[in-house]
Amino acid sequence: MAKFITIGERIHVISPAIRKAMAERDPAPILKRAKEQLDAGADYLDLNIGPAEADGEELMPWAVQLLQKEFDNVPIALDTANQKAIVAGISVYNRAKGKPIVNSADAGDRITNIDLAADNDAIVLALCSAAGVPGDNDERMNYCQQLLERGMEMGMESEDMWFDPLFLVINGMQDKAMDILEFIHMLSDMGLNSTGGLSNVSNGMPKDVRPIMDSAMIAMSMQAGLTSAILNPCDRRMMETIKSCDVIKNNILYFDSYLDM
Amino acid sequence: MPFTDKPQVFGASINALTVGAEGREIVLGGSNVLPLYSFDAPIPNAPRVGVEVSDRGYDKTVPGLAEFYAGCETVPEQAKKACTMEGCDFIVLTLDSADPNAENTSVEDCVELVKAVYDAIDKPLAVIGSKNIEKDADLFVKVADAMRGKNILCLSCREENYKQVGAGVVLAAGCLVGGESAVDINLAKQLNVLLSQLGIPSTSVVMNLGSAAAGYGFEYLASTIERVKNAALTQNDQALQMPVVTIVGDDAWSVKETLLEESEEPEWGPREERGIQMEIETAAACIACGSDAVLLRHPVAVKTIADMIKELV
Repeated sequence: MAKFITIGERIHVISPAIRKAMAERDPAPILKRAKEQLDAGADYLDLNIGPAEADGEELMPWAVQLLQKEFDNVPIALDTANQKAIVAGISVYNRAKGKPIVNSADAGDRITNIDLAADNDAIVLALCSAAGVPGDNDERMNYCQQLLERGMEMGMESEDMWFDPLFLVINGMQDKAMDILEFIHMLSDMGLNSTGGLSNVSNGMPKDVRPIMDSAMIAMSMQAGLTSAILNPCDRRMMETIKSCDVIKNNILYFDSYLDM
Repeated sequence: MPFTDKPQVFGASINALTVGAEGREIVLGGSNVLPLYSFDAPIPNAPRVGVEVSDRGYDKTVPGLAEFYAGCETVPEQAKKACTMEGCDFIVLTLDSADPNAENTSVEDCVELVKAVYDAIDKPLAVIGSKNIEKDADLFVKVADAMRGKNILCLSCREENYKQVGAGVVLAAGCLVGGESAVDINLAKQLNVLLSQLGIPSTSVVMNLGSAAAGYGFEYLASTIERVKNAALTQNDQALQMPVVTIVGDDAWSVKETLLEESEEPEWGPREERGIQMEIETAAACIACGSDAVLLRHPVAVKTIADMIKELV
């Protein structure tokens, strides 16, 4: 099995500092966040520019080149609702360290993002939902099949489709948590790659509790077969949990300093 | 159904590491396929054969060597003669007598000998220490210092002395170092990581994963080498992509099957034959598992293994 892939979530337009930096094309705050995440062990960086309806086509390539130039062609998840911005970002993207990720498609309005990924030889994050939260795993699997079919029709390799079960907030939807884990297991049994926004799990919990809850959830998810996650790599407890799970799963060979790598 | 050839080529490769300088270089490693799987992709550098000579002279307990080294009185002369063995790629000088529990030859004398051997031979040089941890720390650092620019390979540092040896041999003198772990894959990885944390480039490091003669715990060694190669290639584990160097001759000539005289075990046949077979079988198995270089003693074993490699790669 391959090592678990972490996608750093901290370059996000919702952060005031990042929003300002993107608007002013100021590299420093963006590079700082990128470096923190890479130093902490992130494999991919998520680059969320928001809807970016006005200037996405200029902003995305600017930010992609900024990050890849500074950090040895770091692989990036291009995260926006603006399809033209994603295409523009991929057009300047260097694949030396990994394919670009299109974040994201779903089985509803955003299904054409699969076509976009297929046309551009990219990985696509495929949310197993259409509108709103699916009621149960039958519904999730139904969406998964629709997404998979679309990808196959478009000539994608199934390994380039990373299915997102949609992690749900525990504080509020506690009774759904085991469903999500079971769904990850179903994806794993089908040999599919998976990912998801892990931080959602501990949303609304006290700050000192969140790393513990996130670590427990990532460990249980990796046991169920999750192959990657979008998360905060600066959460040391969680990164150490992931490395330990990678060792337990025999994804990486144990050595005494494995936590340092 | 027609056979469809699906080459198993990995997106990872063993580091290519050059031993030697001044026009007498060899390259170890560099391959991105399983050991000897040259049908999957070309193997850029075939496994290499090193010939061992001790600072006490050639191994007097090995039959046939007295004839081969006849007329070569000094260690440098013997090392020069070893270069003429068919299939010999490099010379390995073992500083046995430096052991404080043996003759305790001084570091200065060892350095002089290494220089004399280097000057006498026309192939790359590797040096094996006294196997005493404290002595070797000093020994390797001074030997490498005297061999600046020659790119010699020092075998080996251990977990207890990797800092002194790694810093002195690689960072200060620009030579190469082996990391020694006694048939322990996790320790092998740990040692490589520790060396890299010192700032030593992985392309200056080989792995000495331990040794064993066929029939004497060899399966542990074989599985260790195999698992190292698998992690290096299938998991792209960069802490295990160093070439593997395996000392074969020492163990092969130290077991009952190669030590007992024909007079003691008449049905076993001539001792020299048995020893050569043991060296060949052990070395061939090591190479099949993934060793990038094997160290041997008997000229017939050296030639046979070199011929085998030539046929397979």
